[in-house]
Amino acid sequence: MDNSICQVYEDEIQSLEEEIKFLAEKYEDSQQESTFFSDEEILMSIKSFQREFQGESKGHEFSSDLKAQLESLETDLSFLMKFTGIQFTSHSKKTVEKTRNRTVRKHRLSGNCCSLSFQLEFQLLEVQNKENVSAVITDLSIIMESGEDSDVSKFVSSTEEHGNLLTFFRSLSSYAEWYEHRRCTFLHFK
Amino acid sequence: RGKMEEGKAYSPDGVFAHLEMLEARAHEAAVKQEETKQQEEKLARLKARVQELRLQRDELRAKVDLQQKGQLGKGGVVSDPAQPSARAVLEWKIKSVKAMLQVFYLTGISGKLTKRGVCFCISTAYEGTYLDSYYLDLLAKPEVQIHRHSVPVFIPLEQIAKKYLQTDIRRFLSVLSDHLNAYAGRRYQADQLQERFSDQIEGTLQRNSLCNLLVFNYNVSSKSKSFPFNVRLLYGDLCCSLPTEVIVSCTPDAPASLAETAAAHSDLFRRVALHEAFRSFGSAEEN
Repeated sequence: MDNSICQVYEDEIQSLEEEIKFLAEKYEDSQQESTFFSDEEILMSIKSFQREFQGESKGHEFSSDLKAQLESLETDLSFLMKFTGIQFTSHSKKTVEKTRNRTVRKHRLSGNCCSLSFQLEFQLLEVQNKENVSAVITDLSIIMESGEDSDVSKFVSSTEEHGNLLTFFRSLSSYAEWYEHRRCTFLHFK
Repeated sequence: RGKMEEGKAYSPDGVFAHLEMLEARAHEAAVKQEETKQQEEKLARLKARVQELRLQRDELRAKVDLQQKGQLGKGGVVSDPAQPSARAVLEWKIKSVKAMLQVFYLTGISGKLTKRGVCFCISTAYEGTYLDSYYLDLLAKPEVQIHRHSVPVFIPLEQIAKKYLQTDIRRFLSVLSDHLNAYAGRRYQADQLQERFSDQIEGTLQRNSLCNLLVFNYNVSSKSKSFPFNVRLLYGDLCCSLPTEVIVSCTPDAPASLAETAAAHSDLFRRVALHEAFRSFGSAEEN
């Protein structure tokens, strides 16, 4: 008899812990998405953060840890942009729906690849399965600077229709490769 | 002598046995009492934990509700009434950069610098659905080489590496990505067919690991019990998810009138994704 009461409590504890985790994530996501800090504000924060922990040897770990983490992430990002030729200039996302297993986020992304600039909007649906998380793109909308070019607009509307975000970027990257190759060849002959 | 006649209980052995029994009983009772005490303590602890968590959960719910209301009201950027600390700003920036790195995953090539080189991640997708991703751990010195990877054995990785890895890493990844995406696309089509149109296919689809050879018998409607068509799909171009060779034939017992349909299908399968082709059969049937 006692064991079944214990089980009831334990089940409730587990369910509460899951709910708390879910709510905390929801709150943090919302905070993150509705805030924005400029590059100057970030630089100032890094400086003031270092000053705060200048004297303390204990806090120094945290300070260098956060700063080092940011630097490492930014290095990775700038490497990828250089390597693929795809430069993102801005990115924002908004959580439109969040349940235990499903998250739908609306993304806005702009950037350029060599001389081609683009602006994208899409919805990303992520579903938690037993083993992994599946991701599906819907409502893809692409605006390209040279959109009047009939080849480009055909490519764009076909990509939008099928939600082919990956193909879009691979094509852009190929274009960048070819562009770079052409530029090098041209320089060679100068 | 007289004592022994009154019964064994009063013999020295009897007394000790009796004492042992009493001790055992007392011990059992003590153990039971301890168990009950522990059980009660456990219940009390669990109850207290439930109360604690309920309180925490209610506070969070209120916090989230307030947050949602605040955003609906202002419709703009919501800022914390208190000045955000330098740490909070940095943490925001870190999350922001991480989010952008995650976007790179959607572009098909992402990665992370390592001490000795780069670890690339090639993602695959069929239209808007992202499928498996594969990683490649590259070392930069003494020359570019593949340290570890998760590319399946039937993808000609060594061939592609031999051709491009030393001279043009971008091209190497590009070609590898084409192979992996085409494979993922072929597999996706076969899986979709098996999953959504299983009653129109006889048994299971026969396929190889590279998913570039498929053979099966099928029907256009799900109501019939016979499968008059046989198809053999060969995907000769490993960077393509459409077949290069399609042979549709009718099974020996099929009516001759179906020969024309078989020819039409042969053409269809060359142009349209497998599961899309079957979807068109369904809507044709309805008409």
